[in-house]
Amino acid sequence: MNEQSVKLDRMRFTKNTQSSRLALLAIVFDVFYFVSIYKTNVDFYYNILMGASILYNLVFMLAAFLSSEGVKNYKPGFSYVLGVLGVIQIVRIFILPVKAHATTVTVGGTEILAMSNGQFVRVVIYLVASAVCLCAAAVINMQKSRALSAHIAGLEAQKA
Amino acid sequence: MAELSLHHIDKIYDNNVQAVYDFNIDIRDGELIVLVGPSGCGKSTTLRMVAGLEDISNGNLLLDGRDITRVPAKDRDMAMVFQNYALYGHMTIYENMAFSLVLRKEDPNVIHKKVLAAADILGLTTQLNKKPSQLSGGQRQRVAMGRSIVRNPKVFLFDEPLSNLDAKLRGATRREILLLHKRLNATMMYVTHDQTEALTLADRIVCMSMGHVQQIGTPLELYDSPNNTFVAGFIGLPPMNFFDVTFENGSLHGKGFEVPLNDEEKSILANYNRKAITLGVRPEDIVEGKDLTVKVFSNENLGMNTLVHGHMGDNIRVTAKLRGWANYKNGDSVKLDFKRKHFFDKETTNAIRKGDR
Repeated sequence: MNEQSVKLDRMRFTKNTQSSRLALLAIVFDVFYFVSIYKTNVDFYYNILMGASILYNLVFMLAAFLSSEGVKNYKPGFSYVLGVLGVIQIVRIFILPVKAHATTVTVGGTEILAMSNGQFVRVVIYLVASAVCLCAAAVINMQKSRALSAHIAGLEAQKA
Repeated sequence: MAELSLHHIDKIYDNNVQAVYDFNIDIRDGELIVLVGPSGCGKSTTLRMVAGLEDISNGNLLLDGRDITRVPAKDRDMAMVFQNYALYGHMTIYENMAFSLVLRKEDPNVIHKKVLAAADILGLTTQLNKKPSQLSGGQRQRVAMGRSIVRNPKVFLFDEPLSNLDAKLRGATRREILLLHKRLNATMMYVTHDQTEALTLADRIVCMSMGHVQQIGTPLELYDSPNNTFVAGFIGLPPMNFFDVTFENGSLHGKGFEVPLNDEEKSILANYNRKAITLGVRPEDIVEGKDLTVKVFSNENLGMNTLVHGHMGDNIRVTAKLRGWANYKNGDSVKLDFKRKHFFDKETTNAIRKGDR
């Protein structure tokens, strides 16, 4: 067995911690994102969109966590879930942050942006980072699970 | 592998209780030494001193000639297998076996090869993805052994590894340890209170009592030529019968019975004429004959043999292991002979051998 085969064979007994940790890291970035938005005390956020955002964050965290457990065991189906979640994180940039950044509110008689430039850059970075982690986790898991399946098939063929 | 020497080892605790007295042994490369004795005799303490888990109060411990008396446990290159397995419940079998090597930051591919090789030796290949809770006691103990094997230590230490297993599993795992020893040809120290384990596994046995070494020898030496009444009584199942007798006029006189001796036995006791000694006879050395009359009070059929318990003379208890199936009733009289006898000095409890005193 050469080094590459040993590396593949190791996957039969070790977890895909790389993908799993990336998925968990994506959750962390998402938390940074919504904490950054929810702490902003301007009227703009108090509408139905905010309620939906809270619900989605709960769903996102649950789905990402379950997927992190799934990819730990090289289950390829969870790569698709992570991929979809990653794409949605990018789409989310154009919902709350972009809208808030383009909206002005009056605070103490002064008109200001609902989301300042600095805050906008920060939340975009959090969402992009979260999306990158999710997509990387998905791609790595897909590659590894395919390689592992091929390796196991090879071993079974050898046995037969 | 390795040669291990224990020279004048003592263990004295802070409260001045001495657990081990002047322990001496030179263990050869590839030898399996079994420390046997009743609970509290100091055998586990000795093993823990060798492992580095207990300080050595006096004496020297040498591994391949290097003094490791004060070397910390982690640097001794020894692996210990415990009675309670000490496996990590949240890790798979693979992870448990690989754990010590991961801590040493060894190459993952090398770890993988070592774990697979150990699993192959122990028949655990199909169990590697399971958690310890999914395995039987015997399999868990094999995992504990596997964890030792992957480290490729100089010395393997086993602290009553089979005590948690049921009788059937104990027998099977004992055979596996024996095969493992033959396969690895490793230096091993094994602690047990079970004399069957000691007799079947050991190249040499160290029999201990109250912190003192009573005898070191091959299983046959301990069984056939015990140094004293303790070893004679501890090794062998059922235990040896002991009788207080006096050597007089070429035979042994007990309370209400007389045991004739042959010429060789008389010559052994030549210096004990008219002196009280202890006669030891193993139950399996008692055969149906004509010399002694025993009144049976219990008959246990074991299949191939029958254990007959009775009284002879003035209510002196005797147990005989007779070949075949016997059906003695309570109160039956049976004539027995002592085929092979062991003699012990009554004062010192030491064995009497030709030319003593």
